[in-house]
Amino acid sequence: MTLRLSNISKAFGPTDVLNDVSLEVPDGTRIALVGSSGSGKSTLLRLIAGFERPDTGTIALGDRELAGPSSTVPAHRRGIGYVAQDGALFPHLSVARNIAFGMPRAARNVTRVRELMDLASLDHTLAARMPHELSGGQQQRVALARALTQRPTVILLDEPFSALDSGLRSQTRQAVVDMLERSGVTAVLVTHDRDEALSFGHQVGVLTGGRLVQAGAPAGVFDAPVDVRVAEFLGDMMLVPARLTSADAVDCAFGRLAVRHDRSGGAARVSAMVRPEQLRLAPAADGNAIVVGIRSTGAGADLRLRFGNGESPTEATHRVPLHTASRFPAGCRVQVAVDGGVVLYPSDD
Amino acid sequence: MPIGFVLQAAFALGWAELSALVFRPKVGELLANTVALVVIGVPASALLGVGGAWLVERTALPGRRVFAVAFAAPLAIPAFVASYGWASAVPSISGLWGGLLVAVTAYFPLVYLPALAAIRGLDPALEESARSLGMGSWAVFIRVVLPQLRLAVLGGGLVVAMHLLAEYGAFAFLRFDTFTTAIVVAYQATFAGPNAAALGLILLLLCLALLIAESLARGHARYARVGGGSPHPPARLSLGRLTPLAVVGAVCLVVASTLVPLTSVVRWLFRADATDLGDLASATTQTLVLALAAAACAIAVALPFAWLSVRYPDRLSRLLEGAAYLASSLPAIIVALALVATSLAFAPTLYQTAFTVVAAYVVIFLPRALVPLRAGLSQVPESLEEAARSLGVTPFAARLRVTVPLLVPAVCAGGALVALGAANELTATLLLAPTGTRTVATSFWSAASSLDYPTAAPYAIVLVLLSCPAVALMFAHATGRSLR
Amino acid sequence: MPLRLRRSLLAPLTISALLLTGCSGSGAADGSTSDDALVVYNAQHEELTQEWADAFTEESGIEVVLRNGDDSELGNQLVQEGSASKADVFLTENSPAMSLVEQAGLLAPVDDATLALVPEQYRPASGDWTGIAARSTVVVYNPDLISESELPTSLLDLAKPEWKGRWGAAPAKADFQAIVSAVLETQGEDGAREWLEGMARNATEYRNNIVTMKAVNAGEVPVGVIYHYYWYRDQDAAAEDSGNTKLHYLGDQDPGAFVSVSGGGVLKTAPHADEAQQFLAFIAGEEGQKILGEGYSFEYPVASGVAAKSELPPLDDLNAPAIDPSTLNGPKVIELMTEAGLL
Repeated sequence: MTLRLSNISKAFGPTDVLNDVSLEVPDGTRIALVGSSGSGKSTLLRLIAGFERPDTGTIALGDRELAGPSSTVPAHRRGIGYVAQDGALFPHLSVARNIAFGMPRAARNVTRVRELMDLASLDHTLAARMPHELSGGQQQRVALARALTQRPTVILLDEPFSALDSGLRSQTRQAVVDMLERSGVTAVLVTHDRDEALSFGHQVGVLTGGRLVQAGAPAGVFDAPVDVRVAEFLGDMMLVPARLTSADAVDCAFGRLAVRHDRSGGAARVSAMVRPEQLRLAPAADGNAIVVGIRSTGAGADLRLRFGNGESPTEATHRVPLHTASRFPAGCRVQVAVDGGVVLYPSDD
Repeated sequence: MPIGFVLQAAFALGWAELSALVFRPKVGELLANTVALVVIGVPASALLGVGGAWLVERTALPGRRVFAVAFAAPLAIPAFVASYGWASAVPSISGLWGGLLVAVTAYFPLVYLPALAAIRGLDPALEESARSLGMGSWAVFIRVVLPQLRLAVLGGGLVVAMHLLAEYGAFAFLRFDTFTTAIVVAYQATFAGPNAAALGLILLLLCLALLIAESLARGHARYARVGGGSPHPPARLSLGRLTPLAVVGAVCLVVASTLVPLTSVVRWLFRADATDLGDLASATTQTLVLALAAAACAIAVALPFAWLSVRYPDRLSRLLEGAAYLASSLPAIIVALALVATSLAFAPTLYQTAFTVVAAYVVIFLPRALVPLRAGLSQVPESLEEAARSLGVTPFAARLRVTVPLLVPAVCAGGALVALGAANELTATLLLAPTGTRTVATSFWSAASSLDYPTAAPYAIVLVLLSCPAVALMFAHATGRSLR
Repeated sequence: MPLRLRRSLLAPLTISALLLTGCSGSGAADGSTSDDALVVYNAQHEELTQEWADAFTEESGIEVVLRNGDDSELGNQLVQEGSASKADVFLTENSPAMSLVEQAGLLAPVDDATLALVPEQYRPASGDWTGIAARSTVVVYNPDLISESELPTSLLDLAKPEWKGRWGAAPAKADFQAIVSAVLETQGEDGAREWLEGMARNATEYRNNIVTMKAVNAGEVPVGVIYHYYWYRDQDAAAEDSGNTKLHYLGDQDPGAFVSVSGGGVLKTAPHADEAQQFLAFIAGEEGQKILGEGYSFEYPVASGVAAKSELPPLDDLNAPAIDPSTLNGPKVIELMTEAGLL
């Protein structure tokens, strides 16, 4: 069943938290909602879960309206699972009892609890432990297993990995994605981590200031962000002033480059956005840039490059692997080539 | 309701009569006594409470484990029993200084326990970084530890002040007149007469001033997180040459607060004729039933209050809470008179039943249940209930299965405090209980006030014994130790 | 949210209500009042009334429960309770509190047979209550601190400047307030006011008669004004609190020789009116009065011709001022004492 949000708005007192958000999550797919703190992403999740009511707009799951102008289905009748940021395990109950919490009395049995623990890759010996005796990653997996007891059609994950340290984080994330894949459940993840958002599933949605500014397949959104802020949010980038030479080419510090996407809306002054991954460097006496500084980062080195000459020099930082760093001493001229064209945005000034 | 009663009674008098009753030398004398009591008694209790907590928690005081418990022990001795102990051991003890001696040694644990809990909850890292910044131990205590104890000390100090204002028995023994003793005297002379109402009005204003002062002093600060433990035990400060002094001070405190009252009770106990054990047993049973009923009802009433103030903190909930505090800081006699008037007017069938006694206990001791419940509730994140609801559990069941079990420690602590208060309550019990009801406290009081010390002694012992479990529970709650 | 709020409150409130009703149920089951016991609002000494009650129960099979308190406290409580009162009988130590209840119209006439047992000077003309015992005002003094010749000849002397800090009493108690009512009765309002002002300057205030006597005994103050029986009782025991003291009777119809009448009355609204009259008749009867004349109490019997304990000077020899017990004005005394700063 498709989860469908139409024109959702929500304000707390005088503050607008969500503004006219519409979103569709097809059955069995995963979407990550990404945004900085205060963007309204958690509120959106709580609206879907039924902990809050939207001021306007409707939320529907298939043909069933969950929240709308006329009616609201309370949280416990929605059949929507929810995993909170800290897992929200009940501190007074063991792992097994936590998992069994939502099961109907008759259906509570060891086998079912074990199945779910297996699904969450949790060792059976943990069943008798209390939540405070678990690691953060284990807690999150218990929380997920618990949420799956309801066989929910949709599961909501509110920054479930943010409290974990980086190693554990990617590992837990992978385990969770696998688990969701196995159970075939529709999932909505909220996060402020762009890598997490881009690698989570079929769609990524970017929220800024209470608006869903862009949603779509991760590759597509990363490739063609609607504006500079989204571009910046989803990855490192360089923005250089550019001059349109024809409909599909610009002149900029890197030389003449093809336009991959034009998001400038026909503005008179435009900037070109380039991802560092597009750059290729080679030492060249007549290169278009000069290395003005080097800082080691251990695994590589950050080169500070200056493009252009005299009047309007542009600087950019580019990371090169350790084994190539020695080829770019300070003061050396390099030729910087850009693969794959640029995305154009209107210039601010 | 008691507040309304006082205001109504005072307004019914009319301004002329009221001012004649308020502006007279006797009231000035009472005001001076009461103010002196609070102004000297509260800082003294705070000093002893914080000092005691710091000594046992942060210094290498010899015997600190024993002292840690001994400093909390006076809570098990009702102030009027301590006063009886002192008065019968040193008959000449009386007046302001006598009152202060007894009251401060009886009440300083009310600061000691929260201060102890707060010190245990402090992160030693803060003190260590202060030391690394070149501060000496005293400077660390004054500039780092004390400010963090501010809330605990203010809260405890407020409770001490309220107790000082509302205490009757202890001061009556020592011939020290405060507003409350004068109100009880006025009540004995005229029942709910105009004098009692006028004095009650002044006392009400004093309480209000205290509450406002405390909330101003507290400012916008929130209560510090208590418990959670520290990652590593803090370094204890060696007292060096001051060790003997500290030990002597601590011993004196224990002697004054616990040993003197207890030994004189025990001394009288040996001189007691064969006590009627049947009377003692029936008084104990009645006390237990009333105290436990009061605890259960106070918790039941406090829950919605705590719920409102934690989950929906707005002006209304703060007003309700403030009213609860104010009502409970009035002397029990006023609460009791209000209940007499109310029950006679609206529900004569409830008059002089256990129901009204329990209702009075609830009014008087509500904050004792409210404070731990509120703290407990604020430590149960709402997300747990939400998690339960997302698991298909109805909101009510979620509360029952998640929030309620997590509140058990707070409920026990609050219930113990209420039961303790109810078991030691005197004036409201005398006035409201069904004819023929005798609690341990009222039996003690009727014997002790006719100076029949030997007869009073067994009741005093039972009062102390009844208080012990509650005090143990409070101590465990403050130190975060489990009783099991 | 208001809806959600209301629902979230409903459950705890329901629980509270259930618990409260539960409490009252269990409390009633446990409370010692059974509905057929005679309820006595007792301002007399608890031990004394308990003795009467036990003897009465033994004789009649009627159970008695006591609600103990002070004269004014219980008297005023009865007035406030009015017709809602559960009291059957009211016993006082002094007459003003009884007069208060009588004036509120709450007393039923005492059976004529009972009244016939009590001489006229110990009961009001109305017949709405009767005297059941009497006590005499005395001056207790410590011979180590004061010589016999220095003792006051009148209670009124004690208001004079030379008595500053030299005497004690318990003005908060109904006992002493009854003595003040005698001053009011004999000296008039202005005289009483003046005397009370003198007292406020001179007297040390104690909590009750026993504490006052103890203070004299311990030498804290040379002279105290109390009722006689506290002293005789203590002498009869170990004389622990009175061994260093002697009694001084003022006589001469002085207000300081005032004999206070303890009263007994039956409430109009008494649920057990017949039993109440029986109890009062028992107290005024020979058996009840003998408990006074022979027991530990040392109060004077006033009815049925029973003699007081032999240690006591006969009541008729005390030369007390002749005062009709029903004329003593309790509320006025309280007002004057409050004015003087003694309350």
